[in-house]
Amino acid sequence: MSNLKYRVALIVALVAASLWALFPRTVIERVKRGDGFAYDTVRRVPLKRGLDLQGGMHLALEIDESKQAVADKSDALDRALKVVRTRIDEFGVAEPDVRKVGDSRIVVELPGIDDPERAEQVVQKSAFLQFQITDETQALDKVLPRLDQIVREKGGAAAAAAAPGDTTRRTQVSAIPNLFTPGDSAARDSTKGDSAAARPTTAGPLSSLIQVGQFPGEYMVAEKDVRTVESYLSIPEVQGALPPGKVLRWSSDTMSLGAQPYRPIYLVEARPIITGEYLTDAKPNSDPIQGTVVEFTLNNEGGRRFRTETGKHVGDYMAIILDDRVMGRPPVIQSAIGTRGQITMGSRDLQDAQDLALVLRAGSLPVPLKVAEVRNVGASLGEDSINKGTTAMVIAVLLVVGVMMGYYRFSGMLAVVALVLYVMFTLAILAGFDAVLTLPGIAGLVLTVGMAVDANVLIFERIREELDRGKTVRTSIEEGFQHAMSAIVDTSVTTILGGAVLYQYGTGPVRGFAVTLIAGIIASLFCAIFVVKTFYMIWLTRTRSVQTLSI
Amino acid sequence: MIRIFHNTTFDFIRWWRQAAIATIAFIVLGLGSFLWSGGVNYSIEFTGGTLVQVAFKQPPDVAELRRVIDAVAPGSEIQQFGTNLEYTIRARLEGAGDIAGSTEGVTGAVRKALDAKYTPDGYVIARREAVGPKVGEELRRGAIIAMVLVSLVTLLYLAIRFEWRFGLAAVLSTAHDVLLTIAFIKLLNIEVSLVVVGAILTLLGYSGNDTIIIFDRVRENLRKTRKESLYDTLNRSINETLPRSVLTHATTLLATLSLLFFAGEVLRPFAAVMTFGVFVATFSSIYVAGPILLYIERKYPRTVTDKSTIASASQAKAEGRSEARSERPAPRPSGRPTQRPATR
Repeated sequence: MSNLKYRVALIVALVAASLWALFPRTVIERVKRGDGFAYDTVRRVPLKRGLDLQGGMHLALEIDESKQAVADKSDALDRALKVVRTRIDEFGVAEPDVRKVGDSRIVVELPGIDDPERAEQVVQKSAFLQFQITDETQALDKVLPRLDQIVREKGGAAAAAAAPGDTTRRTQVSAIPNLFTPGDSAARDSTKGDSAAARPTTAGPLSSLIQVGQFPGEYMVAEKDVRTVESYLSIPEVQGALPPGKVLRWSSDTMSLGAQPYRPIYLVEARPIITGEYLTDAKPNSDPIQGTVVEFTLNNEGGRRFRTETGKHVGDYMAIILDDRVMGRPPVIQSAIGTRGQITMGSRDLQDAQDLALVLRAGSLPVPLKVAEVRNVGASLGEDSINKGTTAMVIAVLLVVGVMMGYYRFSGMLAVVALVLYVMFTLAILAGFDAVLTLPGIAGLVLTVGMAVDANVLIFERIREELDRGKTVRTSIEEGFQHAMSAIVDTSVTTILGGAVLYQYGTGPVRGFAVTLIAGIIASLFCAIFVVKTFYMIWLTRTRSVQTLSI
Repeated sequence: MIRIFHNTTFDFIRWWRQAAIATIAFIVLGLGSFLWSGGVNYSIEFTGGTLVQVAFKQPPDVAELRRVIDAVAPGSEIQQFGTNLEYTIRARLEGAGDIAGSTEGVTGAVRKALDAKYTPDGYVIARREAVGPKVGEELRRGAIIAMVLVSLVTLLYLAIRFEWRFGLAAVLSTAHDVLLTIAFIKLLNIEVSLVVVGAILTLLGYSGNDTIIIFDRVRENLRKTRKESLYDTLNRSINETLPRSVLTHATTLLATLSLLFFAGEVLRPFAAVMTFGVFVATFSSIYVAGPILLYIERKYPRTVTDKSTIASASQAKAEGRSEARSERPAPRPSGRPTQRPATR
């Protein structure tokens, strides 16, 4: 029977192809070694595991337009993508994936990352570096009375908004441009009550909170008052009354004066003498006196510019401002500075300096990015998911095998062999198409194990009916397959259609589910109809005079 | 050979009233609870917000943990996740918040608070998800579009596959399954995540399966026997397909149950919804699709032209009819009035 030969040949070929697709090969991946994880070459089944199974971070970034609108989003995003990619490459993760999705989003996938929050910060940091001269004219002192007056007039609203426990305050404060960078909400929350209580009710609501610092342009605000001052400064009229051509910038660090922590705020020239675009290199260093520093080198043009500008300002103080925060205390300019300089990071650890050097090297982001979505799963949870998913899979297969063998005996056995082939084919399809196996994907696989035998059940039941009608084994099998076919096709089509739509509209792990569902249904159709039929055909040709069928 | 439910003659359709009351009661109860206890429990994927799953080395005191978290992230939900070592902390984003601040804010604040209370070595952040309002809205829209599309596609397929009476009955029974599943999700307060939406979509495809199998048989039997009332044909078809319905659902249930019990906490909502859905699909293909088909046939009986399509086929089999009828004893249960308006 040549037809049978072709059938067997096709099945054997598919099995061989599946085995080849699933054959363990050498890959570089993270392996657990002792307490930690390390990269090593291992031989394993080439099934790509999703971030939820191997652990890692999925990060979606989009352009932050809360401060200013961006005209050509797509172009800005392309430029941002380059910067993000450079930063991630330097960050040192095996197989990072950085890509643009649509016109408004950058997706960063970092498998097996240990410190997701750090990566998030590195990616998101604008790294916009500016050098600005602090104000020498005591301009702030001159306008303070006027500012006090405005605060007093508008004070009602501001004070109400600043009342402790009022939730509207948080959103209002975070809308302040430039002055406020989201920091640590724990600290903010704890100062809430104090600041309201400590707020003087009499003269100078603002000036009483601001003390003059140690050099021109430097002012000190007690850490507990920072929020209050921020809310006062956010009043539009106050913004308007600030000295023209000058801007206020908070320091990134606090200082201890006496027992109390203070946060310096600087009034600086709005025009930067130079920005980070001329930067060619940056590296972290540890200085015994100044603590952690980042040393940077400017290119020739930047160096020339820097020299002339600093030459003009000898004796002045220069604030190094990163993303609108003053880094360290502004140093006094002793003489004209050339191509080299350093950013003092005070007591921060070397890792912060490394990250800063990294983002400075990679360049600043052309547009501010904000995090639209983060998912990260620890490596151990991923491993746990795989183990549990595999357990569920094995138990499901055993139960289904038990039912099929117990109920349909010999025919059930054929179905079970087909089921084994089915699992193999499905995994091979996933490996072959480079599809990603996710936790919901495993669920889909387990589910389709239960559904895969449905087609066999339909066929076997039909064969039983045909046998009951007194037909021969041969005709019963033939007609059983024939009659059950339409129902099987119908049920598969509806499930596949559902899976296709789910694939189109799902994201990440859910897509994995849709893929396994579709692959599973197709493989199960083939196994239930084609493979089992072939088995029957082999059996029928082997045993010439078939009288009974164990079904 | 082993046979279950072989040659049964249950009068399934007879119980349609009781079934209808039970199922409508469940749906009303489930959907009604939307009125007095708000919508379903959406995951942060849809609402936007932050989820932090913390695995402790030592079981923490829950009240204490709640206090620690409440201090830094007020209004967040804390739930035990599987064992008493793992907890999830959910801070939902209300209205339009700025995720850049709130993501780092919530995770950072939680981390700091836990560091202070349990030391950095005492716990591990096993999982973290933060979804901005925009992404949340997109996912929500995507889920709704997917639901509508799958419904339409399934409906269209069933409509093309069967003539409209069967198609309508199959679609209504599928809709019933989805409503019942939503009621179930609501009543058990299962968190609706993307994966649970995936389960509902899979059920949309799956729930029609059994109906298709029964209706296929009904169609086949209609061709064979012209004298039998549709009521009897339906019952006979259900009885004939009963073994396969039971077996196909049993194997699928075995799969969903192993997911429910062994696949861990993350997949549990999915497995629960699937298990319920498979169960309901069995029920509805018998008690919902059948009676609805009966109702439609009574209300809109086939015209002569409609009939002729099947009649021509049944004419050919007219000789075999008596034999086909005798194949099944089909005694009418005595409790039911013998004369029912035969639709054909």
